Amino acid sequence: MTNAQDKPVAAERSVEVVGEPTAIAESSGGVVATLFRFQSVFGLLAVFVAAIIFSPRRDGAILFVSADNLANVVRAVSEIGIIAVGMTFVILIGGIDLSVGAVLGLAAVGSAVLMVESDWGLLPSVVLVLAVGLVFGALQGIATAMIGIQSFIVTLAGLQIARGLARIWSDGQGIAIAYGNGPHEAPDSFAILGERTFGGLVPIPVLIFAVVAVAAVMFLRVSAFSRHLYAVGGNEKAARLSGVPVVRVKVAVFAICGLLAALAGIVHAVQLNQGSPNDGQGYELDAIAAVVIGGTSLAGGRGSVAGTVAGALLLGVLNNILALNNIDSNIQLLIKGLVIVAAAALQRLRPTS
Amino acid sequence: MAEVAALVRMSGIGKRYGGVHACREIDFTLGAGEVHALLGENGAGKSTLMKILSGDVTDYDGRIELDGEPVTFAGPTDAQARGIAMIHQELDLVPGLSVADNIFLGRELRTPWRTVDRRRMEREARALLERSGVHLDPRRPVGELRVGEQQLVTIAKAISLDARVLIMDEPTSALTTTEVERLFVVIRELRRSGVGIVYISHRMEEIAQVADRATVLRNGQFVTSFDPRKLTTAEVVEAMVGRPVQTMFTTPETATGDELLRVENLAIKPRRPRPGRRDPDGISLSVRAGEIVGLAGLLGAGRTELLETLYGVAPGGARSGRIVLQGKEIQPRGPRHALSHGIGFVPEDRRASGLVLFHSILANTVVSSLPAYGRLGVIARRLERAASIRMADRLRLKFGRLQDDVGTLSGGNQQKVVFARMLLTEPKLLLLDEPTRGVDIGAKAEIYRLLGELAGQGIGVLLASSELPELVGVCDRVVVLRDGRDVASFSTADSGEGDLLAAAMGESAVFEEVGGPQ
Repeated sequence: MTNAQDKPVAAERSVEVVGEPTAIAESSGGVVATLFRFQSVFGLLAVFVAAIIFSPRRDGAILFVSADNLANVVRAVSEIGIIAVGMTFVILIGGIDLSVGAVLGLAAVGSAVLMVESDWGLLPSVVLVLAVGLVFGALQGIATAMIGIQSFIVTLAGLQIARGLARIWSDGQGIAIAYGNGPHEAPDSFAILGERTFGGLVPIPVLIFAVVAVAAVMFLRVSAFSRHLYAVGGNEKAARLSGVPVVRVKVAVFAICGLLAALAGIVHAVQLNQGSPNDGQGYELDAIAAVVIGGTSLAGGRGSVAGTVAGALLLGVLNNILALNNIDSNIQLLIKGLVIVAAAALQRLRPTS
Repeated sequence: MAEVAALVRMSGIGKRYGGVHACREIDFTLGAGEVHALLGENGAGKSTLMKILSGDVTDYDGRIELDGEPVTFAGPTDAQARGIAMIHQELDLVPGLSVADNIFLGRELRTPWRTVDRRRMEREARALLERSGVHLDPRRPVGELRVGEQQLVTIAKAISLDARVLIMDEPTSALTTTEVERLFVVIRELRRSGVGIVYISHRMEEIAQVADRATVLRNGQFVTSFDPRKLTTAEVVEAMVGRPVQTMFTTPETATGDELLRVENLAIKPRRPRPGRRDPDGISLSVRAGEIVGLAGLLGAGRTELLETLYGVAPGGARSGRIVLQGKEIQPRGPRHALSHGIGFVPEDRRASGLVLFHSILANTVVSSLPAYGRLGVIARRLERAASIRMADRLRLKFGRLQDDVGTLSGGNQQKVVFARMLLTEPKLLLLDEPTRGVDIGAKAEIYRLLGELAGQGIGVLLASSELPELVGVCDRVVVLRDGRDVASFSTADSGEGDLLAAAMGESAVFEEVGGPQ
């Protein structure tokens, strides 16, 4: 779990039952355990290699590894990726958040309405939209933690509510975003988020995803809060008796998830130059798939953001290579489903210590 | 030791987990109508050996004969069909189902229309329970029962299988003395009808009472077999541990200080009364600094409920009476509140409420004291490791690496991790609920040593236990609870187990309902 403690002390502390056989068991168990621990990374590598092999070629160049295509892969992954990071937090405490796709839609609509119809500036719009996501998530957290309704049900309701709010806010219309300085035009600076690339290579949405992912990984690694989070997911009763502020942890986690879904909604609006109340439908399922492929246990208490990032990229590469080969989109769905089952099956084989 | 016709003969049994030998070349026989005790520290191979016999483990070396015929089992169901049943240490019950449903799980009784015959199942369940001397409503969900009651249900379930070989893995760990007595009556009855019983327990006095023969395992190997009535406890313990052990049940007398905790006439009127739960109904007691006070009582006397109330985790209700900590009245509001006031709690069931078994030893040890190892919510790994190692040394924790899962430790060492966690919060008062349940004898001795040491440092301890020798040996004073009230208080210097038991049972005779529906 909270992995990576330094090694040196281990050697001095091997007490009792050491002996030859144990040592062997540990080393072999070590290799297998490592393989399983980074399962999603190896999975990603395998899919990546397969993608290179099966990639169509033009003039001898492998289309899949062209800079443009790779940028497309990560750009396409960034929204689901951002959501999946928040979803990882929720699943780590043994919950689930079905509302993220709807919150994304709400945030996309909110960005468009505020900047286009209300002529708000970039910063206030973004801050308000993020705040809406945060509060929405926190309310779901409160319903889960304080009233004790299962998060599946709370967020199922949240999904409907967020969709409804998005429709009300936009009058049920998709709102196109035009840029400029005139009335009913979004500031140009907003377009930059979508169009510009960082260093001429990395699209800004990808950069946002990367920053979110790295921040989340660091947060889970060093913060006291993350210990509490894993403890709540691992054994809620034990966590409570140990003095972990269970309610606070749950509310915070759902708030973070809502915030990240709203952030993904902003990214979505800027990439598509519009905000529609139907945006993000089914995204929650893709995010859950990324988390599961990434090796995080739906039972809670076990998993990592790094795995989720690998899981999201794996799905992105898979989608991309199937599309490059003009595989029928229905077949794509089949293959995606099989990959999810395979990933979950592999986890069942994981040696339990 | 009369030679009995072998019902079961296991020979040359071996089993490896990775490179670790759980069992090595073990021979074991069980006669019809024999009670054969199996002894050994946790990890000695008792459970593995019995899992092989009960078909739980199918991949092993050696051979098993049943009635002289070599047999192999495809799984537990197969073994059950051949008349071998096991009562597991981990109670394998479905919490949401009723007692009767659990007893007949997988072999439900049917009406002529093939629907489940609830009434007959309930009637037969009631009869089975009564045979083991328990009065429990078979319609109650198992999840509502206390651990001890659940244990009685598993025993009833195993008896209902009409097995010829019955394996009991620590069947009494959550039972009180009276219930153990009743169980022994049942065991003797089964023995008379020719059932062979394997009895695994850490309690030496039980084995002397009930077993015809005892076998000691150590590190997966056979050590010795003996007549349990002929060896002293010290000799048996020495065979189990492999070295002499000093007398266990003593803690040094320590000078006690000022009053730490005073409970005055504490009573809770629960908002929603739960069957089988005995909230405090007028309890007064006090604990001084450096004093170890025992809480005795039968199952359902309200010991756990008192500790939960003091820690602030009991279900809500109207509270009357006073709880005074170091001269100041407090209203327990929950674990964080209690811990910040210097009250620590070690719960009854460490697997369900104490530990995250698949998290590391380190994470489990430091979870209650995290703010101490960092600033601004960021943890300094070096500090938490140092604290963890300091505690591990102090408690003589046997472990490989700090990042190993706590679930890989033996029961005793898991319990030490729970203690370590609480000690890192620097408590003034420790509330302990059955802290040595399912703990092997070596670790038990170390926990007692620790309690003595803590008392010496002026920490007050309130210790609820079902083991009378433990209460008499470890505590300075024992308060006896009955029906949610304190009914007697003894100094252990001038009273014995008999006095405690008499007070715990009171005038309500041995066959009074215990924890049954009101």
